[in-house]
Amino acid sequence: MSYAHPEVLVDTEWVLQNPPNENRKLVEVDYDPVNGYQKGHISGASLIWWKRDINDPTTRDIIGKKEFEALMAKNGITADTEVILYGDFNNWFAAFVFWVFKIYGHENLKIMNGGRKKWELEGKDYTTDEPQFSSITYVAQPPDEGLRAYLFDVSRGIDNEDTVMVDVRSPAEFTGQITAPPEYPMEHAQRGGHIPKANNIPWATAVNDADGTFKAVDELKQNYEPKGVTPDKDVICYCRIGERSSHSWFVLKYLLGYPKVRNYDGSWTEWGNMIGNPVEK
Amino acid sequence: MLLDLPVLKKGTFYFIKENDTDLILEDKTKRGLEIKETSVDEKLNVKADKGMIHDMDGIGHWVPIRWYFSKDLFDLSAVIIHADAMDEKYTKLRELTCPDDDD
Repeated sequence: MSYAHPEVLVDTEWVLQNPPNENRKLVEVDYDPVNGYQKGHISGASLIWWKRDINDPTTRDIIGKKEFEALMAKNGITADTEVILYGDFNNWFAAFVFWVFKIYGHENLKIMNGGRKKWELEGKDYTTDEPQFSSITYVAQPPDEGLRAYLFDVSRGIDNEDTVMVDVRSPAEFTGQITAPPEYPMEHAQRGGHIPKANNIPWATAVNDADGTFKAVDELKQNYEPKGVTPDKDVICYCRIGERSSHSWFVLKYLLGYPKVRNYDGSWTEWGNMIGNPVEK
Repeated sequence: MLLDLPVLKKGTFYFIKENDTDLILEDKTKRGLEIKETSVDEKLNVKADKGMIHDMDGIGHWVPIRWYFSKDLFDLSAVIIHADAMDEKYTKLRELTCPDDDD
């Protein structure tokens, strides 16, 4: 059985054989470009730095439509360009950027399965040369808010039997034992635990541990359906800052073809910090 | 196990432990951080366990978790000088971010 939308995935060998050109752009999405893109990246790839490029610099939010259009122009991308995303940290941030591209209506979009992890495991080459793009215009669509869950959507969803919440964090975060690993001291919340009734299905259960590629359809179904995360539900994914949950959002929406899946990018750093929000441990 | 080693001295932000060969200075603020490599800390010029902490921009920075001072080269008083400097640095930082109401 194949994925519901196999056209959104390419493998590392395909990327090697199909380098970027006028109509195809390769974009590395990094959380930590200093230890990623700047040390080496796939030939022809440009950089989207998750924190600097895809987040509003002042307010906690993704960038607006105009900023998205400017980002596309900077990366040589038009509305018709085929874009292949890959990145560090198991493609978490590439999946987040995929989600933002979809919010602004970009159609021809793919993820390189396995990201930097698989490319490096295969010993494939990197370069430090950065591509240059001539001036270009990108016209984005109005934001598709149906892909995004906000705090009030989640609050309402708790008592709605048709809504199912997927907490993709580690079991230690889900139970409130920790709010963030020590590597991320800026991402803590005032309370530990999870949103009431949420299912803990860590993002990592959707990938093969050896190379970070996505599991097969049957394995993915087995991962979600027994926990009540079924295609007939309104699914909301969350994690700590919304990046791991966008990875699971991608799995549910594009690999399994669930019709209604939203990413709650406010995630635990919003929910666990709000006064009065109910918390389960 | 490092956890089982005898504690020679402890401060607000550090432990000094010892094994057969080293006096080990541990930074308590780095507790739980995964050790990603063990190499020489160029600042103190001794071997150190290091991990990575990501800042607000996502950039990873190598940080020492514990330092191994060879007993052949250092005595406890020498290690305490470094430990006290660390305590002072973190105390100043805490006062900067959470000043006492009396101040």
